[in-house]
Amino acid sequence: MSEVLLEVKNLKKYFETPRGKLHAVDDISFSLEKGKTLGLVGESGCGKSTTGRVILRLLEATGGEIYYKGNNIREFTKKEIRELRKEIQIIFQDPFSSLDPRMTVSEIIEEPIKLNKLIKDKKKRFERVLELMDLVGLSRRLMNTYPHELDGGRRQRIGIARALALDTEFIVCDEPVSALDVSIQAQILNLLKELQKQLGLTLIFITHDLSVVNHFSDDIAVMYLGKLVEKAPAEELFTNPIHPYTKALLSAIPRPSIDKKVEKIILKGEITSPINPEPMCRFANRCNFTEDICRGKEPDLEEVSPDHYVACYLFKGGEK
Amino acid sequence: MNSKILEVKDLKIRYVTEDGIVEAVNGIDISIEKGKTLGLVGETGAGKTTTALSILRLIPDPPGEIVSGSISLGGIEIFNLSENEMEKIRGNAVSMIFQDPMTALNPVINVGDQISEAISIHQNVTPDVAKKKAKEMLELVGIPGARWTEYPHQFSGGMKQRVIIAIALSCSPKLLIADEPTTALDVTIQAQVLELMKELKEKLDMSMLMITHDLGVVAEVCDEVAIMYAGRIIEQGTLREIFKNTKHPYTEGLFNSIPNIDDRKTELKPIRGLMSDPYNLPMGCSFCDRCDYSIARCKTEKPGKVYFSETHFVECHLYSENPDFKLTNLKGQE
Repeated sequence: MSEVLLEVKNLKKYFETPRGKLHAVDDISFSLEKGKTLGLVGESGCGKSTTGRVILRLLEATGGEIYYKGNNIREFTKKEIRELRKEIQIIFQDPFSSLDPRMTVSEIIEEPIKLNKLIKDKKKRFERVLELMDLVGLSRRLMNTYPHELDGGRRQRIGIARALALDTEFIVCDEPVSALDVSIQAQILNLLKELQKQLGLTLIFITHDLSVVNHFSDDIAVMYLGKLVEKAPAEELFTNPIHPYTKALLSAIPRPSIDKKVEKIILKGEITSPINPEPMCRFANRCNFTEDICRGKEPDLEEVSPDHYVACYLFKGGEK
Repeated sequence: MNSKILEVKDLKIRYVTEDGIVEAVNGIDISIEKGKTLGLVGETGAGKTTTALSILRLIPDPPGEIVSGSISLGGIEIFNLSENEMEKIRGNAVSMIFQDPMTALNPVINVGDQISEAISIHQNVTPDVAKKKAKEMLELVGIPGARWTEYPHQFSGGMKQRVIIAIALSCSPKLLIADEPTTALDVTIQAQVLELMKELKEKLDMSMLMITHDLGVVAEVCDEVAIMYAGRIIEQGTLREIFKNTKHPYTEGLFNSIPNIDDRKTELKPIRGLMSDPYNLPMGCSFCDRCDYSIARCKTEKPGKVYFSETHFVECHLYSENPDFKLTNLKGQE
């Protein structure tokens, strides 16, 4: 019944820098069922966008396997990849820079259909463009306008229409609403949710905003410096966070409420460098609980209760 | 008696551009008392930053144009001051923190010099004293004084924002204007910086104008809240009044647009449509095209203020038509 669409095993992506190897994604594994949404959460520089790009093979991984529908796409030839791109898509954060400023709205949406020779008949192709515009709630009269004439919310709708133009089954949404105002953000989130239901899409939702991801995801994975530190079903993660980083992250969100005050866990310091990390828990230097064992070697992601995985020596048995 | 640090009256600002006239701020009144924080909330283009810049008389002219109104800082009318006198106020009695810590610092001057620059300009002290004070400021914002000779690129985003806070506070201002000070920062860093600002505000007994689009930040630091839409303050009140007794349909829409982190089942109810074009504001209420409750009068007539208490008002016809009117879309107000 629950068919696994994507499985990532020991995925690694290192970048060579003059100062050493930057461990952007360091040995992460997870799987995603068809029609579900995985929220990938973390702060700037934790490797969440890199993970998204490596999965789509927009960046080549350094190690590990990526199974899409059971096939290891890291071994795909160029031609196979091109075929695959009809099914796997990405929506970018910044709708201001991800659209070609010299193309009209209809040209932008039409382009992927044309390039993939999906619909050869010009008239039919045009009909498909109109259909897509209706689908994402773009008024047809905007067909001949250019991106700069539109606001952020509408531009993001173009990005979504374009991602849906082919036989899309799987989309990586990389901070799709971060650049938008709250009222527009809610419009786009509702649209994505509706489309997912309608078209049975599988999504990876990358964001730094935990309230958005809670609203949207089935499962949530928290990343810190290239590592997954905790992964659980959304409800479980929010009601019963275990890793000290997840706890701090959850408590740090400013809540728009004046009664429910949440005790803030203020972390010391800032994210450390991902270049040549020491073999120890990467969060140890900011953690309020660090003990000797944390500095010995890196903790593995272990299942502490059904579907709830944590990488921490101290808290895996619930309370310390 | 007059404990008001800032008093803005009937301020109107417009930008005259080739494409037409943008009416950015359309008659607002705000005031902040000593030691209090006012949150100015609104979406992109609501006129928040224009309002803030006008308090320091930093509106670029042209194209900016102050059409009418007055701003008084601790009893002094700033529109009557000369540019020289204004220079003495900026960074001294009033300072401002900008959104983007990456671009607000000079990349080729070390941070210590950037802090002591502000001190030497406004205080009659020797360079050595200024230097010493700068080090104290760095430590006050939680950066080791030894890092004073470092350059901005050696600091992370959160640290840069701390440096900027140190500069802004170096002359103990009476009013701090913070324009989205934590928007560019990660949440855990945001929590650190907000905590620091709250603490310093108490310590130095200043007032603050906090500009933000994030109602979560507002709930944490503000005493009073003004909601801005298309250049007007459409609802204003104490923190409790705005959060517990929301009156304006736009404020309601803002609350309904935020995903509730403690309840993942609630549906988002976005405000439909887009903010009206500031080149061409409607004749009546600017929000009426997006409002679920609008009545005939909203289209033709600008709403006046309706007061619910001494501190709480809205600009909305619904309440002048029917004093018992109640918003109905509000999801469980907590």
